[in-house]
Amino acid sequence: MKAVGARLPRYDGVAHVTGRTVFVDDVRIPGTLWVKALRSPAHHADVKGLDVRKAESAKGVHAVITWKDVPLLEYGHLSALGIPADEPLLAKDDVRYKGQPIALVAAEDEETALEAVEAIELDLEEKPALFDVRKAFDADAPRVHHWGNWYPHFEAEMDRRQIRKGDVDRAFDEADAIVQGVYRPAAIEHVPLETQVCQVVPEPNGRLTIYSCTQALYFSLGVVAAHLQVPLNKLKLVGGTVGGGFGGKVDTATETMCSLLALKSGRPVKWRWTREEEFLCSSTRAPWHMEIADAVSKDGWILGRKMLTLHDSGGYARFSPYGLTKHSFHHTGAYTIPNLSFDGYVVFTNRVPTTAMRGFGVTSVSFATETHMSRIADVLGLDPFEVRLRNANRIGDTSPNGVVYTDPSTVPTIQAIAEHLGHELSADYRTMTNAKREGELLPEHLVAQLGNPEDH
Amino acid sequence: MKLTVNGIEREIESPPLTPLLFVLREELEVTSPKAGCQQGGCGACTVLVDGDPRRSCLTAVAAVAGAEITTAEGIGAPEELAPVQQAFTHHYAAQCGFCTAGMLVAAHAYVEGGGTDDRHAISEALAGHVCRCTGYVKIIDAVAAAARGDSFDLAVTAEGQYTTMQSGGGS
Repeated sequence: MKAVGARLPRYDGVAHVTGRTVFVDDVRIPGTLWVKALRSPAHHADVKGLDVRKAESAKGVHAVITWKDVPLLEYGHLSALGIPADEPLLAKDDVRYKGQPIALVAAEDEETALEAVEAIELDLEEKPALFDVRKAFDADAPRVHHWGNWYPHFEAEMDRRQIRKGDVDRAFDEADAIVQGVYRPAAIEHVPLETQVCQVVPEPNGRLTIYSCTQALYFSLGVVAAHLQVPLNKLKLVGGTVGGGFGGKVDTATETMCSLLALKSGRPVKWRWTREEEFLCSSTRAPWHMEIADAVSKDGWILGRKMLTLHDSGGYARFSPYGLTKHSFHHTGAYTIPNLSFDGYVVFTNRVPTTAMRGFGVTSVSFATETHMSRIADVLGLDPFEVRLRNANRIGDTSPNGVVYTDPSTVPTIQAIAEHLGHELSADYRTMTNAKREGELLPEHLVAQLGNPEDH
Repeated sequence: MKLTVNGIEREIESPPLTPLLFVLREELEVTSPKAGCQQGGCGACTVLVDGDPRRSCLTAVAAVAGAEITTAEGIGAPEELAPVQQAFTHHYAAQCGFCTAGMLVAAHAYVEGGGTDDRHAISEALAGHVCRCTGYVKIIDAVAAAARGDSFDLAVTAEGQYTTMQSGGGS
């Protein structure tokens, strides 16, 4: 515990302030080729033709790759967890978002690579695109994904993440009021100052050295090895120096394609995205659509919650089923609600695929639930702090997915916020702790949900 | 065409319209200025040209022929940190480090130019520099400390290691 409360130097602080830190783009490798991508100009289209012969024969071009060059074209980021793959490394039959990579070029310099990309002949047949998750379920909606417009492979092949707890219909029958809200946080681009960048060196011993800006080195190791169909010991990943990630460098965006180009050309390659590519083509935080209806009593108890979540996954699944699962486990926020009916869908649209960003799946639902708590207090004419404390998680309460809380922090957190804001709490709430419920704070509707923290 | 970079005079071979950023990074291998956007929008490529902060990505090398160029490498070495470098280290103003070199040379010019610890004036001086990690508060704290002439006990921090991607070799 020596570090707690101590001033410790950053291990990389002096290197940062003297310009000595070597990021991926700063690694100098003689003879490196530049990489550029042909990306889909359309949001949604069928690929009718792709001819790279002119680009391949252009002066200064050392390698061009398309889907035909990928040993295992589809490999999902969550394949290791049994979630099936859906996204080709390079587009094959169709493109599902603007900016989707179709072919890549490695050439002597950046200009030559760009000219070669221009020389690739691409024939697309555009299709209507879907951008609004609320329209994905319509009978006449454009069909985005070969699985349909929403992810169908949750456990037991369910097409949604579903939570049922208690008796929600009874809670709504007994309610004094129903409080409803719709919450729609938008997509956010991470905007790391370092754009996606990768360098790959083919080594004489048959291995590839991969300089990666990834936040998730071992994810990338597995993903590259799977696409290339090589054992892990053929790949040496060098990473750990990340010029900002925030969740946006969890997806393996560049390493696999650069590895294929290094193998095909026999030369070191570097791919550094432009800022425009970063904005248009890198994965974002997902936009979410959340509808909440709460059955409440007039003294401020939340008796039951019905919730519908539409998670915008973009053109492919990537990590979204995992993000939605976390979201569902947190859909009561920091509060205990005994009767629940939650349905969440991972919805496919023709937007760039979405990914982690600081509290993957949970930030969105926290925004919705906290806003909704204040709305409940507003509708009932109650103190918003006291509504939160009344329903706050206590020892022995159970989460939506049945986890028994052993040390929940809602009570001291809300009390601290009130104190810092100078908000006067009544004596009962000022002295409240997270101890097991009893007396007035254990009303009948919360008895059945109690668990035994000793069993945890 | 000649440039003096961090006190060393060099003959430049790149064509005259080559961005200064490219000359520094690719010809001279001075890599602290970063290609964050290459549109003049993020500030990560900032260097000092005869003491003034300039966006090296938008500056043709011919436009600064003969000038003195200073980058973060040239402001102070690890064993001999300049005041802004000490302040950035002490106040944890560098997080991922990618914007730091540009931010730092602009801060150095501000302090050397007699800038005060007024937070609004510091914000103005660094207005063109984007940082996504810190939220700027620690950076402004650091520049204010350097402007005041605060001193720091960096006996420990000066021993910080370099973070360097080891070269390949495939072994």
